[in-house]
Amino acid sequence: MSAPVVETHGLAKTYGLAPVLRDVDLALLPGAGAFVVGANGSGKSTLLRILAGLEAPSGGRALVFGQDTRKLAARYRRRIGLMAHQSFLYPNLTARENLEFFADLYSIADPRASADKWLGRIGLAEVADTRVRTFSRGMEQRLSAARAMIAEPALLLLDEPFASLDHDGAEIIAGLIRGAIERGASVIATAHAVPEIGGVEFTAYEISRGLLKEHAHKEEVRRGGRLRSLLGR
Amino acid sequence: MSGFAAVLRKDLRLELRSGESTLALLALSMLVLVVLVFALDAARVRSVDAAAGALWVAMVFAGMLGANRALLAERDNGAIRGLLLSPLDPATLFAAKLTAALIFMAVAEVGAVILMVLFFNLDFDASIARLAPILALGAIGFSALATLLSAITGRTRGGDMLLPILAVPIFVPALIAGVKASAAALAGAPLASMGDWLKIMIAFDMLFVTAGYLLFEHVVGED
Repeated sequence: MSAPVVETHGLAKTYGLAPVLRDVDLALLPGAGAFVVGANGSGKSTLLRILAGLEAPSGGRALVFGQDTRKLAARYRRRIGLMAHQSFLYPNLTARENLEFFADLYSIADPRASADKWLGRIGLAEVADTRVRTFSRGMEQRLSAARAMIAEPALLLLDEPFASLDHDGAEIIAGLIRGAIERGASVIATAHAVPEIGGVEFTAYEISRGLLKEHAHKEEVRRGGRLRSLLGR
Repeated sequence: MSGFAAVLRKDLRLELRSGESTLALLALSMLVLVVLVFALDAARVRSVDAAAGALWVAMVFAGMLGANRALLAERDNGAIRGLLLSPLDPATLFAAKLTAALIFMAVAEVGAVILMVLFFNLDFDASIARLAPILALGAIGFSALATLLSAITGRTRGGDMLLPILAVPIFVPALIAGVKASAAALAGAPLASMGDWLKIMIAFDMLFVTAGYLLFEHVVGED
């Protein structure tokens, strides 16, 4: 059996005195997908930032590729793609220049060709030379997904990847996630409710007040998530 | 292309596109020189001393503005997180940011020197050429210090205000050495005669370039 790509043991995070994550245990195998659902402020984004090595946990351990995320070496960081609420893009660069820059950082052989390939995949080829500052939130979201995936990482961390997207945009991102799983990448995504991504089975977790629970039936989570979002809780 | 070249090219491209930093640096340098040329009494202060002081005041203000802006661009849209998550070594990021700050500062310094010569009625002669190594040493030290400190202050609310409060007192030894060496150079003294001042500046540069290279990863992160 393959070693987990992601493992957490008793993971905890507090901001000041406020606990955000409490005793989180999680394991994800290569090629597996997981959706973590929960209300706003439940700790979903914090969990992803810790797994990406951008924040240190207050307690417990988080391991990615068997390495402690507090000190991830460059060769492990390059295998992680994070799509967060913020796009990490430069507003005064064009879409192509942004992707070329990140392709450069990841030492991709032909950054220009790679940028153009991804712009085609996310349906932004026609606005390749337009500055990102003029993009709608949905367009920036798609470009952010391409930025996270341009190095074809073995672990994709996606924070609410379908937020702000119209139907076509959501289809594009769903296709990219499906493609990543099919090439063997592991995916952890957050959402308010588990979406349907045809042909891909996800393990569903629910996070509430910093506690993570696995749900056997994602339909249950989906209904709960929708209800919570409708109630605004 | 290495990460260093990628970040440097990106920063230069952003600056060429907006021109914000360079224009602001030149405007600030001009303002400082204009104020000081009228404030200082030409009958009581040698013009080379006044010119050297005014040049370094302009340089310090311009350097702070440049360093602040260099890391401000990385805070937009959380771009700094994208860099920290990438395989780019934080020390390489520091080197690229330092180089970009140095280039912006060098452009501002060229402009400031031309304005200084005009406003203080100096001659364009060999003494101006002797300023080059002194200003280069000052720019390296100040850029390294300001780049390191702006990574810290950029994370705090009101960090723009905090940077000068932290940077200027630390820079004082190199500032005094720079002013003294510049005044001597403008007065026609050979570089060899200002060895002690230059040694202070070299030591300052080595200290803060090394500190930035070693410490940047600990201050640029968010946790």
